[in-house]
Amino acid sequence: MTTPKKRESLFHPLPIGGAVPCRCLYYKELFCIYSSVVADSLVATWRIHLCFFVSTKLGNKMEEKNGQCNSVIGGNFEEVCPEKVIKFKPPLYKQRYQFVRDFVDQHKPKKVADLGCGDTELLRLLKVHPCIQWLVGVDIDKEKLQSNGHQLSPYLGEFIKPRDLDLTVTLYHGSIVERDSRLLGFDLITCIELIEHLDSDDLARFPQVVFGYLSPTMIVISTPNSEFNPLFPTVTLRDADHKFEWNRMEFQTWALQVANCYNYSVEFTGVGEPPAGAEHVGYCTQIGVFRKNGGKATESRFSEQHDQHVYESVYTTSYPSLQQEKMLKFVLVGEVLMLAERLRLRHQRMLREQKGSGAHPDSADCSGAPHLILGAVFTEAEKARIESSPKPFCEGDKFFIPLRRLLAYPKLHRLHVDEERARSLIADSVQLSSDGSAVVDDLYKHWDYWPEDY
Amino acid sequence: MRRQEAVVMTVGAAPEAGHDAEQPAGLGCRERGEPAGPQEPCKQWKKFLYCEPHKRIKEVLEEELYIKRDECHIKNPPAEDTSSSGCGSTFKERSVKMRRDVMDLDICTREKLAHVKDCKTGSSGIPVTLVTNLFSLDLPPDWKLYQYHVTFSPDLASRRLRTALLYSHSKLSNKAKAFDGTVLFLSQKLEEKVMELSSETQRGEAVKMTVSLTKELPSSSPVCIQVFNIIFKKILKKLSMYQIGRNFYKPSEPVEIPQHKISLWPGFAISVSHFESRLLFSADVSYKVLRNETVLEFMTDLCHKTGTSSFTQECEKQLTGLIVLTRYNNKTYRIDDIDWSVRPTHAFQKRDGSEITYVDYYEQQYNITLSDLNQPMLVSLLKNKRNYNTEPWIVHLIPELCFLTGLTEQATSDFQLMKSVAEETRLSPLGRQQRLARLADNIQRNKDARFELETWGLHFGSQVSLTGRVMPSEKILLQDHTCQPVSAADWSKDMRNCKILSAQSLDKWLILCSNRAENVIENFLNCLRRVGSPIGFNVSYPKIIKVQENPAAFLRAIQQHLHPDVQLVMCILPSNQKNYYDSIKKYLSSDCPVPSQCVLTRTLNKQGMMMSVATKIAMQMSCKLGGELWAVEIPLKSLMVVGIDVCKDALSKEVLVVGFVASINLRITRWFSRCILQRTNTDIADCLKVFMTGALNKWYKHNHSLPARIIVYRDGVGDGQLKTVIDYEVPQLLSSVTESSSNTSCRLSVIVVRKRCMPRFFTEMNRTVQNPPLGTVVDSEATRPAWYDFYLISQTTCRGTVSPTYYNVIYDDNGLKPDHMQRLTFKLCHLYYNWQGLISIPAPCQYAHKLTFLVAQSIHKEPNLELANCLFYL
Repeated sequence: MTTPKKRESLFHPLPIGGAVPCRCLYYKELFCIYSSVVADSLVATWRIHLCFFVSTKLGNKMEEKNGQCNSVIGGNFEEVCPEKVIKFKPPLYKQRYQFVRDFVDQHKPKKVADLGCGDTELLRLLKVHPCIQWLVGVDIDKEKLQSNGHQLSPYLGEFIKPRDLDLTVTLYHGSIVERDSRLLGFDLITCIELIEHLDSDDLARFPQVVFGYLSPTMIVISTPNSEFNPLFPTVTLRDADHKFEWNRMEFQTWALQVANCYNYSVEFTGVGEPPAGAEHVGYCTQIGVFRKNGGKATESRFSEQHDQHVYESVYTTSYPSLQQEKMLKFVLVGEVLMLAERLRLRHQRMLREQKGSGAHPDSADCSGAPHLILGAVFTEAEKARIESSPKPFCEGDKFFIPLRRLLAYPKLHRLHVDEERARSLIADSVQLSSDGSAVVDDLYKHWDYWPEDY
Repeated sequence: MRRQEAVVMTVGAAPEAGHDAEQPAGLGCRERGEPAGPQEPCKQWKKFLYCEPHKRIKEVLEEELYIKRDECHIKNPPAEDTSSSGCGSTFKERSVKMRRDVMDLDICTREKLAHVKDCKTGSSGIPVTLVTNLFSLDLPPDWKLYQYHVTFSPDLASRRLRTALLYSHSKLSNKAKAFDGTVLFLSQKLEEKVMELSSETQRGEAVKMTVSLTKELPSSSPVCIQVFNIIFKKILKKLSMYQIGRNFYKPSEPVEIPQHKISLWPGFAISVSHFESRLLFSADVSYKVLRNETVLEFMTDLCHKTGTSSFTQECEKQLTGLIVLTRYNNKTYRIDDIDWSVRPTHAFQKRDGSEITYVDYYEQQYNITLSDLNQPMLVSLLKNKRNYNTEPWIVHLIPELCFLTGLTEQATSDFQLMKSVAEETRLSPLGRQQRLARLADNIQRNKDARFELETWGLHFGSQVSLTGRVMPSEKILLQDHTCQPVSAADWSKDMRNCKILSAQSLDKWLILCSNRAENVIENFLNCLRRVGSPIGFNVSYPKIIKVQENPAAFLRAIQQHLHPDVQLVMCILPSNQKNYYDSIKKYLSSDCPVPSQCVLTRTLNKQGMMMSVATKIAMQMSCKLGGELWAVEIPLKSLMVVGIDVCKDALSKEVLVVGFVASINLRITRWFSRCILQRTNTDIADCLKVFMTGALNKWYKHNHSLPARIIVYRDGVGDGQLKTVIDYEVPQLLSSVTESSSNTSCRLSVIVVRKRCMPRFFTEMNRTVQNPPLGTVVDSEATRPAWYDFYLISQTTCRGTVSPTYYNVIYDDNGLKPDHMQRLTFKLCHLYYNWQGLISIPAPCQYAHKLTFLVAQSIHKEPNLELANCLFYL
């Protein structure tokens, strides 16, 4: 697949003041710009944007020119790569998604929204991340959302082995340039290959809504790098619906302005490395990673009070998780019974061995079966925890396993349930000793397997 | 067979039932422990006799729970590299390949049967209003389905891309549509017969799509039915249900049985089909059994239980054949093997040719970290659904990421477990009705579901009621007494101390028992003689042989003491280990043909129940010696009835066991039973001509003439096999009949019997819903227009919902009126000697079933012909 770990090292912060020095760094793979300038006023912002759009349009034309100029370079390139067609491996879209996944792994956001989620593929990849508890997709194509919604529902297996934390996935139908208060207070908003589909009006409104109104802690924006286009055989724009494709300069200028205006810092990177010999064109997809200065702001809390629901909820689903009492109980009871059975059998075997050969019984509680070690092997710390808890014991033909013993085993320990809570949760499904401190079972059961029988 | 496991359940449920010795056998137990659902009677029997429960319990429950393993189809082969698209390609498979049961519907047998061409309904009996599990689906009168063929230029390989391009075209948006990559279905006609649409891929390549009309289909066409089924699949998914196999389940509302590590997911089996006069939607409650443990946990546990020496062997034995559900998608796989040499740290080749280890793959693809790097791999063979000729390809699955579904063999032998499962899954008619009502309500109320239906022009209507008829109850004829049973479900009380029709006395026989069982024998023999003489079955004192407690010792003793004049061998077995039973039955049914009777020591230890145990055993032994117990009045003179059933051999899946049981006397009380093992891949019998000729010869010997009428009941016909039965089996029977009866004329009818069918019927009484009375016949509305068919309810259930038996007359020279055909079928359900009451299918079918089951499970070869005249397999 992709090279996930490598990316972490890609973020070498290069503190640079202003936009000018960009040019110097043009041929570097990536650079970051810290902008600390806060937008003076809204009016100012508007002005900036208006100017900016003029330049965008010019930029598009220029791009064509650029394309022509670059064809010379393209000619050079042909020598390096005769088949002309560049194929990314893994495909570029997967590299983009992988970038977001790595980013999520690194920053552990709780609430994530994907604007322009399309066929929800990115959401499907993100829902497996344990840190995410709210996952939202927004798109203007309602039919796409409807037909792909069910793919975001929990897997059947998640009803048997639930997640640790709750997760709610919601798909909204609506335009990202409209304000909906349900998207406030997010940790991460991703706009993967989105902005190039916006016409100039929408593009102008986009920062106001996403940066100004929604104001999430982090924003990831990706868009094609037009400098790469000449390496493709025919294309001027990569998609018929693209309203524009920016070169790095244009994207970074825009991004810096926006970041400045809304008090974000931005770093630039990308995916889709250019082929050897054409390194100067940069990544095929350019990515801007925005971070709100001063962390999570509180202003969003305020705006939450006046609810503004303009999006239509097309699909929503909640995942079973250990935060739900019902699921916790289900898992706890299951694990307790399974462990108790295992300990019972181990005890039985120990007794048998004692009786059989008089040899020293295998008292090490953590040793598995001799050759085939199935199941997780305990760490030293886990072993110590188990050893320090009260031991299972026999009274007559009854076998007692103290709850504290059970809770010391990793599979139960990770549930973070104290003895009292565990007792109340399992009481109606598991037989407990009279004082409730231990699980009780018959030492011998009729179905036990006795090798001597055969 | 399922009845036996039922037995086992009964044993556990009412072990201390404490009937007094005088009470006729097994009566009281019935109320207690019987499983609901498709019931048959001999359960009570087997309770006292030998039982090999594991398989049987499983079968009962599987039937009840609709856990059919072969139904767990794998939808799309798990592309190594695709992200988990949940419930993918249901549609394409369906439209390309006909569903097998839909295939059957194309066969029109009724039009060839002149006497029922116009009317196949009977009129006798008392009318009764029945509620069904069917719902009407209404369409506008001129509704049509338009089938288009779509070609792409340039051609696109990806079905996903094709679909996306086509669906996003403005001409088709807001239209109800279904598309499988080439065939497009619309409920509204496009303006032109051939339309050229153009679209662009994301890359900007222009694609031309040519959509041309190929067919206009009426709503009754099989293709339409499939499209409707797809629509309902979509709808149920909108109701947050998951498709597993063919059914839909709701894992969010599970029934937990923690002590057995089991979850039951409630759900429905649904289908849309064209019934007698209209399109109907049918739904039945179903449960999916899920084990709350991963395969790895299961293996670890097993390893703890068995120790390492026999672990791998035991593990393979228990796991192969089970269906697992993977944690990272919604797919199910069948475990075909375990590969102990491959570890998660080994690398495999992805589709794109690159290599990656399993650990890394799951980490990267699904963010799953494997905890155990030593676990072996489960192996699953995937067959290409579209092309059966291609080699199956192998998929490795990680035990840690797989959950077990269904029940292991070991689990099914756990009586307590099965009891808890049955308690949860057995639904009373009222409970069932409430579930159905809730489903219907959800479909009608859910916004998305309603929208889906509306765009197709469908209207989901109300639950269908129809009128059935209840046939009069039958008299039971005994030697010098005719009794009108109080309940046709069980007449054991009514015939207490009545003489059976005929019985041979048992003079020379052996009892083999272990030393431990010695003390129970005298008491048992006393009882046996006490119950034997009033019914006319005289039992002499046997020769008792003590043997050691192992199967080989039993077999040796039999070989040693078996003289030619021994009429019967009884073995009192120390345990219900299968090998005791198998070795004895194998020897005595095939190598050295003598009727045999196996009883568990445990059974004979139940002091309070000795008389009832003895009664059952006495009757069973007298049947094995060729006795006749009772008869019913059958007005047709010179009628031979035949039952045919098939069963897969337990040892080898390529071997099919075919059982054939024919009546050989006028009273229909004596039977000629044949069985053959046939190497084949289909469930179609090959040897029917030989069997039929044999049966006719036997009949001739007994009656000095040939039967005027022959009615064959064929059980065990699966979905999609109807045509083969008609084309292949009926001619075999016919040619035998015509060859044998050159100067007289034998008339033949063939009826396909099905215990499993979609419709359920309830009666509404005092605002509650109940099972219909015994003898209820339904021959309208829920039947099929192209067939001469009817439903018959011939068995009761104390808890749970009764399921009707479905009869389809595929060939009929006899020309009996539907009334008479139905009545005759009902009468034949009274004649199963292993149960003093009605059973769900005609007795000859049940006999054939018993016979094939014994052969498939224990004997694995043809039983000796010398036994063909007695019911040695009871």
